[in-house]
Amino acid sequence: MVSRGFRPDGTTTAQQHSLAPVRRVLGGARIAVLDNNKPNAGLLMVSVAETLAARAGGPTPLVLGKNAALPAPDEVMAQIRAEADLVLTGSAD
Amino acid sequence: MLEVADESPERLYALLEEHGWGDGLPIVFPTEARVERMLQGYPGPVDEVLAVLPPRSGAATVKTVAVNAVMAGCPPEVFPVVVAAVRAMGQPQFNLQSVQATTHAVAIMVAVHGEIVEKAGYNAGNGTFGPGWRANATTGRAIRLILLHVAGGRPGDGDASTQGQPAKYGFCFAENTAASPWPIYPRSIGIDAPSAVTVAGTEGPHNSHDMWSTTPQPIFEKMATVMATLGSNNAPMPEAEFFCVLCPEHAAQAASAGWSRRDVQLFLFDRARLPWRMWRDHFDWRYRESPWATGVTDPEQLMPIMGSPDLIKVLVAGGPGKHSCVIPSFGSMALSVTMPVETW
Repeated sequence: MVSRGFRPDGTTTAQQHSLAPVRRVLGGARIAVLDNNKPNAGLLMVSVAETLAARAGGPTPLVLGKNAALPAPDEVMAQIRAEADLVLTGSAD
Repeated sequence: MLEVADESPERLYALLEEHGWGDGLPIVFPTEARVERMLQGYPGPVDEVLAVLPPRSGAATVKTVAVNAVMAGCPPEVFPVVVAAVRAMGQPQFNLQSVQATTHAVAIMVAVHGEIVEKAGYNAGNGTFGPGWRANATTGRAIRLILLHVAGGRPGDGDASTQGQPAKYGFCFAENTAASPWPIYPRSIGIDAPSAVTVAGTEGPHNSHDMWSTTPQPIFEKMATVMATLGSNNAPMPEAEFFCVLCPEHAAQAASAGWSRRDVQLFLFDRARLPWRMWRDHFDWRYRESPWATGVTDPEQLMPIMGSPDLIKVLVAGGPGKHSCVIPSFGSMALSVTMPVETW
């Protein structure tokens, strides 16, 4: 006998976000790293940022940190928006 | 709405697989009649959003929570506990986003307190953490199904836990108020309600066994060694909580020696320590930011694993026997929440 029932997932309130436009030319770009402060995350991302900055002729990368388990503070996000054209972020354990 | 040709286990497993739902165990199909029965008597609107659950930002309405409670096999009597637990998980200090998304093995511990324990048929005695009682088993399972379905915490997709743990299937127990020498746990943190529920992001229970001692000190010295380990998330985070769930006999031994709940907290705080060099050598980065370690210069100085005795949560559960447990937590960025349970 056919049975009908409810979905268990319900609706989502998630908003759609789109990625920022990709910067196609890195020349002179201001690069930032948003480090989640887990072991090795900063090591990897700062190395990549420094390599990119050296190749692209940009300033020394801006390195900012955040708690891995919490969103970045508003002031950190504001500084990134004001002072960076490209941000490297990610997580690591 | 979902439609199945029949409610056979095979058909329902196929449905779950098709949608990526379920915890791997058989479910009860959430028909309209079953969900209505779960919701019967609920005093508010069933489309009320109890919490928005990350990472999916799923709207945990009363009705959706009831659907998952049906799937988990909950009797309607436990539904008020499930509702309160969902509200609690939505509180900011619980930080469900991080609990869901971490690589840690964190499960959500659900502790049930007060009148609802007996009223809804929870087992607070022998094997309170274990199988055999529908209320305990299905309440914990309902919370996990809600986290899987509404919150979107599928292993590897929304739930990054490296290994997971068995408590992620369901982790619900009841405080044994009748066997406790001290006031009910919620009252100890300022919540005076006939019934309440506590949710916490934790590891599973770690046994602390002492059947020999006739005074409380050796019992809690052993417990302190279970706490002061280097591998838990508490170790690098001194602001993280511990739940110490005492068996009635250990609690009675403490009380008969005149110990209060606070005395247990203070004793454990005093003994759950390791030499500072061990904390420093293993977690050097933690001490750059920990004010409580400022000024420590003697590498042999014993330093507590937690920054305050208030972080040790003490309650009584279980039956006869001499086994208590320590439940380490996910960490300082996700704190337990206790909420009154409104019954109807």
